Amino acid sequence: MKATFPHLLHLDVALGILYPLLGIEIVPPPPLTQKTIEIGVKLAPQNACFPLKVTLGNFIESIEKGADTLFMAGGVGPCRFGYYGQIQRLILEDLGYKVQFVLIDHPRYGVKPFLEALRTMAGGRIASLRVARVAALAWKILRFTEDLETQRRALRCQVEKKELLDRVIDGAIERLRRVESVDDFQIVKRETEEALACLPLRRVNSELIKVGIVGEVYVAQETQINFNVEKILGDLGVYVHNSVSTVEYVLHTLPLTRSREKLEAWEMARPYLRRFVGGEGIDSVGSTVRYARKGFDGVVHLYPFTCMPEIVAKGILNKVSKDYDLPILHLAIDEHSGEAGLVTRVEAFVDVLERRKKARKISEVGDTWISS
Amino acid sequence: MAIRVGIPRGLLFYRFYVLWKTFLEELGLEVVVSPPTNKLVVQRGLTYGVEEICFPVKVFLGHVLAIKDRVDFLFVPRMVSFYRGEYNCPKILGLPDLVRNLFGIQPERLVDGEINMRDAGIRGWRKGFLELGKTWERSERKILRALERAEKAHLFYRRELKKGFLPENFIDQKPPSLLEEKKVLLLGHTYLTGDSYINMGIVQKINALGYGVITQDMVDEGKVRKYLRLVQKPSFWTISNEIVGAALLYLKEKDPAVKGYIHLVSFECGPDSLVGELIERWIKREEKTIPYLRLEIDEHTGEAGLVTRLEAFVDMMEWRQNHHESNLSASFTS
Repeated sequence: MKATFPHLLHLDVALGILYPLLGIEIVPPPPLTQKTIEIGVKLAPQNACFPLKVTLGNFIESIEKGADTLFMAGGVGPCRFGYYGQIQRLILEDLGYKVQFVLIDHPRYGVKPFLEALRTMAGGRIASLRVARVAALAWKILRFTEDLETQRRALRCQVEKKELLDRVIDGAIERLRRVESVDDFQIVKRETEEALACLPLRRVNSELIKVGIVGEVYVAQETQINFNVEKILGDLGVYVHNSVSTVEYVLHTLPLTRSREKLEAWEMARPYLRRFVGGEGIDSVGSTVRYARKGFDGVVHLYPFTCMPEIVAKGILNKVSKDYDLPILHLAIDEHSGEAGLVTRVEAFVDVLERRKKARKISEVGDTWISS
Repeated sequence: MAIRVGIPRGLLFYRFYVLWKTFLEELGLEVVVSPPTNKLVVQRGLTYGVEEICFPVKVFLGHVLAIKDRVDFLFVPRMVSFYRGEYNCPKILGLPDLVRNLFGIQPERLVDGEINMRDAGIRGWRKGFLELGKTWERSERKILRALERAEKAHLFYRRELKKGFLPENFIDQKPPSLLEEKKVLLLGHTYLTGDSYINMGIVQKINALGYGVITQDMVDEGKVRKYLRLVQKPSFWTISNEIVGAALLYLKEKDPAVKGYIHLVSFECGPDSLVGELIERWIKREEKTIPYLRLEIDEHTGEAGLVTRLEAFVDMMEWRQNHHESNLSASFTS
């Protein structure tokens, strides 16, 4: 068995550690490129959402590299993600690929298939100390890669040399791929944190513009797909925070492991959107309200074109934007999105935010002058 | 004067109109339905809706605008699920929130009780209607009695549809035209196949070309569900599942009168983008296939283009009929 799995930001780092330690041979998915997208677009249904096309391209590139088993997650809806696996399986079958599709689905579609898929993905036995230890390490690594990205978003606008920041973080992620034990991981973690702490910071005269990112879990995170909006913003001197994370995505499926931020966001979404509408619809609304209350200057909403939950969220975000006087930039991403157009829109958006900030400062100064 | 409750003529209206109307009337309310879709309704929906949302939702929002100021209450129940273990599309789940936030309707005027049979089954159904009915009626017994009568009327309506009525024929008392000899299976959400303004009279057009029409609402539900089980994991969207079930039913039972499939989808439809692919691939895998046409409609669809495609499709069906070919490519999509 040679297994493979789809990309999602640095998920391949964690899974690339997990499976070999469990004794499963893997074919790491080749990096996401324009070619991956082209393959997916050619073979997937025309109106399917973008992540389906990209992950299909992923799978095919991995199969060409020798993979014969595909690991994929299912779902219970109403978002289309839960049905990706079924459609992709049909497409691969029709293409004549002889691969085994291991779909881990919700136990409500049968406890036995669920356990079987889990067993295959865990390399034979689920409940063993070794599996637990290895899984814990992979989880820590996934968490750490996300922490690194959070740091990158926050620091890009503050450091003196952006290349240095990229070098530290990309280097750390490359080193993480070769980690074999918890001790290795701790060393990488400590050294990276030290390196990040000594990065020289730029002196910033005015207050930083803060922008939050909300949206669909794949497109809002995967920088290869969303034209690295975070980097564009960071290069323009904007402090970026992303409300979307894979760790959160996994944790929120169980009631007890939901983070405080998530629950807070859901609570804040309630006046606007009263129930879960699939995917990250309610998270997008809630996180936007949360950013508004935390004093962020703007929000970028990233989603695949035709994404159902996010379109509901988009309709509702118009109201949030008005109520909190918060500019929101909606960016629908698909194979037809062009980089130049996107960059122009982001730049114009940052211009708006800068002007608003200046205008507000002037009016504040004006107020104090009058009152004194 | 009786309290006036408005039902926008769109989306699930075509499925539950009789149920909702009877339920509300049994509670002593006056039901106002927005006029049949027309140019103004569509334009308003396009102007005040969300840009990227699918066409039927835009039309629905146009209908809301058409009646919202003429009624005391707006009836937009949140139909989360009306089949155990399944959902409706996210846009239908979030519909009341969209209506409230887009048009600034006061929450107390918008009746949006949640009907959710996904986990609770029939209890979720009752609970939802109790919540809806409590807006106007305090006695639970009276609400349940109204619901019981409404359900009876609903079953009658569904039975009438099985006889070959289209929702429109039934609601506006237009007699259906039945051509028995040659038929096409018209798949698609009822709010597309049932609204002859937004589908540009496709049923009449098909009839004029000499073909009768069967929709998935005219097929026995039990059979639809039985054939749906052929799929390894059916989707979680009720109406899309019915579409798949009906398609597989005719694919496997091979009714000689059914000469082709037309799948009517709105451009932005999420569920149908995947389910359509599923149907297409199942058709292609059959040895003796059947012509399949996917027609996408949205606000930009032109009538001339639709007619051309239909005519070409009919030509193909006839040609196939005359040549008894079975090894032709199964489908072409638009």
